[in-house]
Amino acid sequence: MNTGLNRTKWEPYVWLLPSILLIAIFVVFPILIVFKLSFSEISKAGVIGGFIGFDNYVEAVHLPAFKTVMLNTLWWVLSVVILSTLLGFIIAMVLNQKFHGQKIARAIMVFPWATSLVIQASVWNYIIKAEYGNLNNVLLNLGIIRQAINWRSSYQIEFVWECWVGIFVTVPFVTFCVLSGLQSIDGSLYEAATMDGAGFWHKLRHITLPMVRPSLTVSTVLNIIYVFNSFPIVYTMTKGAPAHKTDTMITYLYMLSFYERKKGPATALSVIGFLILCVCAGIYMMTVMRKEEEL
Amino acid sequence: MRYPEIRQQNRRMLILMLAGLILTLILMSLPLYSFDVGIYTKKSGNTFVGDEKYQAVRAEVEAVAEDYRAQGFNVEIEENVLERVNSKGNTTSLITFTVTERYSKNIFAFLGKGLSSSLVAAAILVLMAAALVCELAGLAGTDDLVPRYLGRKSRRLRSGAIAALVLSLLLVPVFILMNNVIFSRQLSLYNAELITEGKDALFAKLDSFFFDGKMGENIGDALGGLKISHSPMIWIWFATLFVSLLAAISLRYGEIKSGLLRGILYVFVAVVCLITLYPYYVMTITAFHSNAETLDMYFLHMFPTKWIWSNLTDIVQRGVPRYLLNSLFVAGGATALAMLCGVPAAYAMARMNFVGKKAFLGFVIMSQMFSPVVLLIGISQLMNTLHLNNTLWGLMLINAAFNQAFAIWLLRGTFVSISSEMEQAAMIDGCGTVGALTRVLIPMAAPGIVTALIFVFINAWNEYTIATVLISTAQNRPITVGITQFSSFNMIEWQYMFAASLLATIPVVILFMSIEKYLTAGLTSGGVKG
Repeated sequence: MNTGLNRTKWEPYVWLLPSILLIAIFVVFPILIVFKLSFSEISKAGVIGGFIGFDNYVEAVHLPAFKTVMLNTLWWVLSVVILSTLLGFIIAMVLNQKFHGQKIARAIMVFPWATSLVIQASVWNYIIKAEYGNLNNVLLNLGIIRQAINWRSSYQIEFVWECWVGIFVTVPFVTFCVLSGLQSIDGSLYEAATMDGAGFWHKLRHITLPMVRPSLTVSTVLNIIYVFNSFPIVYTMTKGAPAHKTDTMITYLYMLSFYERKKGPATALSVIGFLILCVCAGIYMMTVMRKEEEL
Repeated sequence: MRYPEIRQQNRRMLILMLAGLILTLILMSLPLYSFDVGIYTKKSGNTFVGDEKYQAVRAEVEAVAEDYRAQGFNVEIEENVLERVNSKGNTTSLITFTVTERYSKNIFAFLGKGLSSSLVAAAILVLMAAALVCELAGLAGTDDLVPRYLGRKSRRLRSGAIAALVLSLLLVPVFILMNNVIFSRQLSLYNAELITEGKDALFAKLDSFFFDGKMGENIGDALGGLKISHSPMIWIWFATLFVSLLAAISLRYGEIKSGLLRGILYVFVAVVCLITLYPYYVMTITAFHSNAETLDMYFLHMFPTKWIWSNLTDIVQRGVPRYLLNSLFVAGGATALAMLCGVPAAYAMARMNFVGKKAFLGFVIMSQMFSPVVLLIGISQLMNTLHLNNTLWGLMLINAAFNQAFAIWLLRGTFVSISSEMEQAAMIDGCGTVGALTRVLIPMAAPGIVTALIFVFINAWNEYTIATVLISTAQNRPITVGITQFSSFNMIEWQYMFAASLLATIPVVILFMSIEKYLTAGLTSGGVKG
């Protein structure tokens, strides 16, 4: 869209320059550093040595916790993304109806999204404490349980709780994405379908789903990326204990590089994570770009 | 709608409401609450079941029980055997005999006993009666000539009926909770001598409630072993009230099926909202607890026994204002920087054609993908080189850079949606490109810009991971890192942690709610997330 006025050829680039500089220095440069480090020898004290090929990668893959951590990451991403997409979709469908208090309900749904993850995770950490947690307290007071329950009796259960917190904070994002899709649907479509005798499921399958698919795709891909990158929940609730059994890749590489002083394998893991993200990002980019072309 | 249908509907509505109310009354007259009261306790150590000492104590207890039976109490003897190994390695047991009586009470038993929950019970009954009266009066005033099938007055009466039902519905859980507080929490506090004021008055009320005032001085012992339980039927009662409410609403507005669906919708929304607000409730009440209460299961309570406002002044002394200021500085600076770089870039993307536009777009989207966490090692290395480690400036720059993509993306969307005619006019009038941008486009795009602004601010304010790595001294901590200082290996000061969290959360939640309207609009195109 050219305004038709005189513009030198390089003018757009001047406008872009500050932004490009900012991203290049603080996003692209660290990427390059991580790549370089992953092929370099790093001593325990953090002194960077010469090129050692893929040694860091080999070491990373042979770390005792590597397999557990990768599996955890898979579970973490899959369970959080799938369940929160499902829940968020249902909640969005409900919030899209007209009812009294709709505005209040939407405002409340915003809360978990606006709250810092570390605060959210700390609160849940307190809620499920076995000895004095608030969940037992509330359930006892409501008369739902008779005796305090140990909500974190094993690390598997703790991991499930971490997933729950992940879902809790991710649902609002999906909800608002789907809501924005739902609001773009023309109401007359439903009316026509009702006239033709279509039931709820039929309308859901043939009108709602196809219409919100773009927003659902965007939110799902973004969620995969953000959930994969999520650090504060696991770090606050268990710190990966016991023995990295509840760690995801991100918290594991943090522990490796800043607690266990194994910077070499940690950078290798960073690069692996980065490449996984690249694949997701590529899918996302294609979706968005295609949408751009449609507009 | 024609008259006969209206009459039919009104009749159905009345029947449903009546059925709901009658069922509720039946459930209320069932003994839903049961209290096991220990009237007398005797402990016997170093004995075995069946030996001489045991027999002697048992006989003594049975005599006491007999005594109570003579007075007209329905009592039973409970035996609790606790085996233990003494220092010599012999197994002995501690046997506790309790003479207990089970009292089952319905809601009517609470009336007029002077307990605060009995007021609530009375209120529930009054409200339900009021609902019924309003409903009947409303029906009587139905005027078939009025188009919406009800006269104004009767419409008001029937709204009143619904309101009364809603209120009584809300009071049911209040009633249950108040009972639990009075009968278990307050009692245990008194028995542990943690509260001394008002003990006699409460005990006298409980005496009249359980024993018709017969217990006298022994009431303290009697209530010592109080166990309360309520049957799950209480929740059925709750559900029944709700269904009668639904019936009333649905029939007022039309079909039963759609009315029930609406009811389910309201229940669903209510449950979702309650679960969503639950952590915030915990955060708020814990922020005003004393440290002992945060850590003690013994204090069974929904609200603090005493609201400790000094927690707020305590965290002021523990450096929280400093952390908040740091956060404000970092988030404010990052927002300013991200917007200063982002607005021109977004403008160029929206209004100009140039080689590599697509590549830049891809570059921006890609950079959005990388949360700084994967790049932590690289970032800390870079910050070392730039001597920005452990500085707020470093944190600000990183936050600005990682939010750049989103800012550009959202702003570009806003700019594209605004027609460029006004700017062209301005430029023809002699404004430069910069003038057209600042004087015409930015004021027009204000909502989008504010949304982007607030979003970047919130992201930077809530950022935690980079800050933990980059910031090593206490005075440079932003609030997200600051709250973690209240937890150490041997002690977690939950009350301070959550008081600080509360201060950190309230402003951002309010900010976020202010842009909630715009969220649904530009969301999926921008790909926004904190």
